[in-house]
Order: sequence, then structure tokens, then C-alpha cells
Amino acid sequence: MTLAVSTPAPRRLYVEPRTLRWILGLILLALWELLPRAGFIPSLFLPPLTETVGALLANAGDYVRHLLISLRAIGISMLFACGLGIGVGLLAGSIAPLRRVMLPLASGLYAVPLVILYPLFTAWFGIGPESKIAFASIYGLLPCFLGTMAGVQTIDRQYLVVARSMRATRWQMISRVLLPAAIPTVLSSLRVGGALVIVGVVVAEMLTSAEGIGYLITRYRTMLDSPRVFAGILVVVALVFAFDGLVRLIEYRTRNWRLSMRSGEPRN
Amino acid sequence: MANASAKPPAWLGLFDAARGLLVWAGGLAVLFGAWQAVLSFGLMPPELLPPIGDVLATAADLASRPDFQRHVGVTVAEVMVAFVIAVPLGIVLGIAIAESRYWSEVLKPIVFLVFSIPKTIFLPMFILAFGINFAQKVGFGVFSTIFIVLISAFSALDSVKSDHVRVARAYGATPAQIAWRVYLPSMAPVLLEAVRLAMIFNLTGILLAEMYASRAGLGQLIANWGENFMLRELLAGILLIAAAAIVFNETVRWFEAKCEHWRT
Amino acid sequence: MAIASPQKSMSANGGPSAKSPLRVVASAPGAVQVDNLDHTYNVGGRVTKALEQIKLDIAPGRFVVIVGPSGCGKSSLLMMMTGLVTPTAGSVYCGGLPMTAPDPDRVGVVFQEASLYPWLTAQDNVEFPLSLRGVPKAERAARARDKLALVGLKGFEDRYPHELSGGMKQRVSIARGLVQNPPILMLDEPFAALDEQTRISMGDELLRIWEQTGKTVVFVTHSLTEAAYLADEIIVMSARPGRIIDRIDVDLPRPRTYAMMSTPRFAELRERIWNQIKTQAGS
Repeated sequence: MTLAVSTPAPRRLYVEPRTLRWILGLILLALWELLPRAGFIPSLFLPPLTETVGALLANAGDYVRHLLISLRAIGISMLFACGLGIGVGLLAGSIAPLRRVMLPLASGLYAVPLVILYPLFTAWFGIGPESKIAFASIYGLLPCFLGTMAGVQTIDRQYLVVARSMRATRWQMISRVLLPAAIPTVLSSLRVGGALVIVGVVVAEMLTSAEGIGYLITRYRTMLDSPRVFAGILVVVALVFAFDGLVRLIEYRTRNWRLSMRSGEPRN
Repeated sequence: MANASAKPPAWLGLFDAARGLLVWAGGLAVLFGAWQAVLSFGLMPPELLPPIGDVLATAADLASRPDFQRHVGVTVAEVMVAFVIAVPLGIVLGIAIAESRYWSEVLKPIVFLVFSIPKTIFLPMFILAFGINFAQKVGFGVFSTIFIVLISAFSALDSVKSDHVRVARAYGATPAQIAWRVYLPSMAPVLLEAVRLAMIFNLTGILLAEMYASRAGLGQLIANWGENFMLRELLAGILLIAAAAIVFNETVRWFEAKCEHWRT
Repeated sequence: MAIASPQKSMSANGGPSAKSPLRVVASAPGAVQVDNLDHTYNVGGRVTKALEQIKLDIAPGRFVVIVGPSGCGKSSLLMMMTGLVTPTAGSVYCGGLPMTAPDPDRVGVVFQEASLYPWLTAQDNVEFPLSLRGVPKAERAARARDKLALVGLKGFEDRYPHELSGGMKQRVSIARGLVQNPPILMLDEPFAALDEQTRISMGDELLRIWEQTGKTVVFVTHSLTEAAYLADEIIVMSARPGRIIDRIDVDLPRPRTYAMMSTPRFAELRERIWNQIKTQAGS
């Protein structure tokens, strides 16, 4: 049997994925600037990048003010959505009969396009922050709840058996075993819930609202002020990036904990 | 001496189905109960929360009216067209990306990141590009849907066990055979779920676009009723849409459950 | 009646009969009895007999290994002996008192999956049972460190489970089972998830710990080699429903060495166990 000897392949240019992403991003930004200026894309549809940034800086005060309003709504909604979602999720996840009832209901409700509830809230609460918060809270609540409930299921049942073999009381099993074991799930639910709350608030503001970054975008659209519209879009994208970065930071800080969470991975 | 355990009795399946219906009936009971309670305790005036009976009657009435049915038709058409475009496109693209180790690493994080951006903010772009019409809403529907399909396709590909592929290759299967006989059945459960999720995102996106700016469609009706404080119609519309969405979803899920047993 | 002496072999039928918890001998702290234990499962209308008429009488300080084919119920039997599961009929006595619930003061348990809590360090994991009882921190820490040293993990107290190898994790698990100084230690296939080399060295470790502490050890495995290597006495179980089909006295000298594994006597033992099991494996 001959051993096939492979000749080394000619060296191809290998770009690190991360670098390529950055390059793609830069190309995108460059195109954003050049294509509208060169006339390939109507400026009404996509104003050049510099114009957009210029509009953003020129009206910075406005954008910041409305952004803060949105942030406030986001914060409050997150408290409701994640607090309730995770709390009830942990509870339902650990009590089997409760889970058997709530799981089918919650996953069924997930199919409903919740946006249709927003006009109801504006009819009830007016176009102020209350309807926004009510809507965004519900929007983020369901996935948070479902995620937590599912996550509790992934907790290694053996942890509880071990605790029982040490004669732990019910309270000790919940506080000393279940809760610490549930932290990775809670973190991932926070991430999902938070992202969706942001979506909920922005959607609500764009539909019917008196203030907030979404409202700003809509207002400028009706005025056909494209640079300002896109400046608003940039602000929202930056917000999402910031939230994502925050979550990544938390994940980084807790990686030690979560690394060992992958149950049953022998380390030989 | 140990024999294989006997099959569970047939009535067990019926029992499960009955229990499922019971849970939903219970949920409805809680909803209507709370509704009635709010009215009875005067927590909300009947202008803002019409009685259950009124709303149900309105719903039945709406369903029979041709102009309502026309709006429904518009929305359904938009949903279907967007679905038919987004799902195959998303699956093909998703598989293409996930197949390549390199491009996976480059593009997956981008897909996930864009997925978490509220797509609504791009609605003005679609309006500026297409105007306010059928194409605009379909375009936005595709845009809303394609990301979840991509992500599901990634997951579907991941779920194919390399061991299974290796076995097929060891027995001389051609690439086409491997694709058809190994990949497809392995991915089927996840792809089925992708279809279900795609529908959810698609419907949400289209209704949203209709609520934002439209001349026809269910979303536009809903927004209109809300603005004009036509609460009976609004609540009826919400109930009808919710019921349709849930029924569709549960049907697909029942179908998924059939494929579930070999899911990795 | 069995006499509580480590050298004496067990009688064929097991010890005295059921009801009275006061037995002269068998009430010694490390003694374990299983009386006429039966267990049936009832799932969705299907009744399966898992264990049939199990009788065991284990003197304090003995190293007993229960071996049998997969699914024979040996792990379930161990769970009942630790008090985690209640059998449908029959009873278990440890130290003369019935085991109706887990009691870490009487029986320490080591599971197949080390099941260390990943958010706690090795030391915290070993301290865990003590912290459930409210033992003060200084005392807990001292006892935990002591047990970790006993299992050969001195210096690893502050490592997290994901930083430990499979063998080390099991050692922490053993230390945890020992921390309350129970007279009896029960292990459920603790080395099943480890590679062969680690299994052999862990077996030696366990024997060393046993010799140092003099506990009664009940060890469940499906490995014939492990059974013959470790045990004073081997209990062979049949396939489901699990019955005891053989009790073998292992007369290999102690301390056991790896070289013994190539002696004819060792091969005889393994063959005897295998002959019992293989007639079961097909059914």
C-alpha cells in the first residue's frame, strides 16, 4: 500500500473571519457614502453616509432627548418583562403540573402577532409612555418566560438527587441548588427579553406615539427628511449594538461559571 | 426473561389530546373570566371594554362581510407571497453559508446581530423604495422572515450528525444520495419548525407594515379601528387573528411532533 | 446469624428475617441488611417487576461489589439502599436502623456522574453537605480539606469542576461522600464514565481509602474485572427482574495488585461471574 504524499497546496490568502467582517462593514459604509453621491441610488431613498451623520450631529440634542425617553421606557419594560418572565418561568419550570398547563398555552400564544394589541393599549392608555410600556412588557415577557421554563428543564436532575442524598430540605434545594444552576438560563433569558423589549418600544413609538426615537423616525419620514430618518435609524442600531455589547460583557464575566455548566462533559 | 415493554394503550393518545384541549379551554375561561370581572367591577367603562357577547357577535358579523373578507384576502396574499419567497431563499442561503466553515464564521455573527435589530426601523426605507403598496409589504415581509429562516437553517445543518454522514459515505453513497437520504430526514424536524417560526415572523412583519402605512389589509383595519375607538371591531379583529394564528401554529406543531422521534 | 467480622464469609441465605430492628449483631454501625426486597414499576398501566426477593447481609468493614448485566436493577437496588427510593416491598437496614430516607450520617453516596455543582469550587462542593446542616465555616473548611487530602487532591481545593479531569471529579465526589464520616459508603458505577487507565488507578485509590478508613463499601458495577479486583465478596445479579444468582467470596490476598489480574485465580473468578451473566444476557 503506497502512502499518498500530498504536495503542499499553493498558499492562498487567508483572512481571519473577524477581520473579514470588519472589512465587509467598511465596504458597506463606503458604498453607503459613494453610491448615493454617484447617483446610483436616489438620495431620497438612501442619503450619503456623511449627510446622515451630519444630520445626526446637527440635531444631537433632539436625538439624545428622545433616546433618553425611549431608554426610560425600555428600562421599565425590561423590569416587567424579564422580572415576571424569569420569576414565573423559574416557578413554572420547577413545578411539573404548573409547567404542563402553562407550556402549551405560552407556546401557543407565541404564535399570535402581538403588534395587533398595540392599538388596544393606545385606545386604553393614550399615546403616552404607559401604552408603550404595557406593550413592550408583554412583547418581551412571553419569550423570556418560555426560555426560562425551557432552561430550567436543562438543569441536570442529578443535582437535585445529590442534594436529596444529603437530606437537603425543600427550601435548601431551591435556594442552594436550583437557583445557582438556573443562572445561565436566566442570563440568556435576559438577553432575549431585553432585545425584544427594545423592539417593542421602538415599534410602539413608530406606530403611534408622541415621543421617543421611533416617533422621531416616523416624523421625519412624513417630512421626507431622509438624512434625519437615517440618523434615527443609526441611533437605534447603535442602541442594539450597545445592548449586545453589554450582554457580551456579562457573558464574559460569568464565563468561568458557565463553562462548567455544560453538564456531563468529562474533561479527560 | 425480560421482554420488551408492551405498547401503551391506544386511549392514551386520545387522553393527551383531550387534556390539551382542556388546557386551552381553561385558558379561555381565565381570559373571559377576567374580562367579565373587569366589566362587572367597573374597572373599565364598556366603551373601552365592550362585553364579551358584543365582541363575539361582531366577530361573527365581520367574518361574513365581503369587505372584511377582501382585507383578509389582501393580508393572506401578502403573507403567502412573502413566505414563498423568503423560506426557500432563506433555506438555500442558510445551508450554503453553514456548509462552509469559513463563511459560517464570518457571516453567522452578522446574521445574528441584524436579527436582533428591530426591523421596523427599516420600514420607511421600504416605503421610500416601493411606495405604499403590495410590493412594499411583501418586501418587508421577506425582510422580516428571512433572518429567522437563515438561523433555523444554520441550526438544521448543525443537527445533522457527522457520524451519520460518515456511515453513508463508507457505504458508497453519492452526494445526491447523502443529501436526500441523510441530510433531509435529519434536518426535517428543524426545518419544519423553521416554517412555523417563519410564519410567525412573517405575519407579524406584514401586519406591522399594514398598521404603519397601508391602504388595505387586516393591519390597516386594526390600526383604523384603534384610532377611531371602535373597540368592538378592534377586539373582534384581535380575537379572530389570534385564533387563526394559534390554530395554524398548533397544526404545524402537531405535524412536527410526528417527526419528533428522530430529532437529535 | 452473621458475625460482624470482616473475614467471615456471608451465609447463603442472608441474615435474620424481617420485622424487628433490634438485632444483636447487625446493629453494628457499619452493617447493612436488605430483607426480602421486591420492587415493581407501574408506568401508564404497565407493571414491570424490577427486583425480586433481594436479601443481603453485609458485615461492617466489608467491600462488597454488586455486578450484573445492564438493566438488571443494580443501580435501583443501590438507590433503595441509600434511602433515595422506597421499594414496593421489603426493607433496608443500615446500622440496624431502617433506611427510609437518605441519611448522610449513616450512608455516604457517590454517583456515576460526579454531579459536582459547577458553581462551587472543589472545597465548597465537599463542604456542601455540612453547610446544609449549618456547621460553622471554620469547621467545615477543615473537614473538607482533610477529606480532599485523603483522596489525594491536596492543593486542588480552589479549582472549579470544569478545571478538573473526570477522575479528579470523582475523587471530589468521594470526598463529599466521606465528609460526614458515615460508616458506610455506597458507590453507583462511579468509574463507568472514565477511561480504562483512570479506572484502574481510581480503583487502587478507592481500595487505599477503604483500607485507611475501614468503612463498609457497597460498590455497583457492570465490569467483571472491577468486581474481581476490588471485592471481598461479589454479588451477581440476573437480568430483569433482578435476582441474586450467585455470591462469591474473593480470596485473593490484600493489598490487591495489578499483577494479580493475570493470575489463574483471577481468571477463574471472572469466568465464574461471566458464566452466570451470559446466560442472562440473551434473554
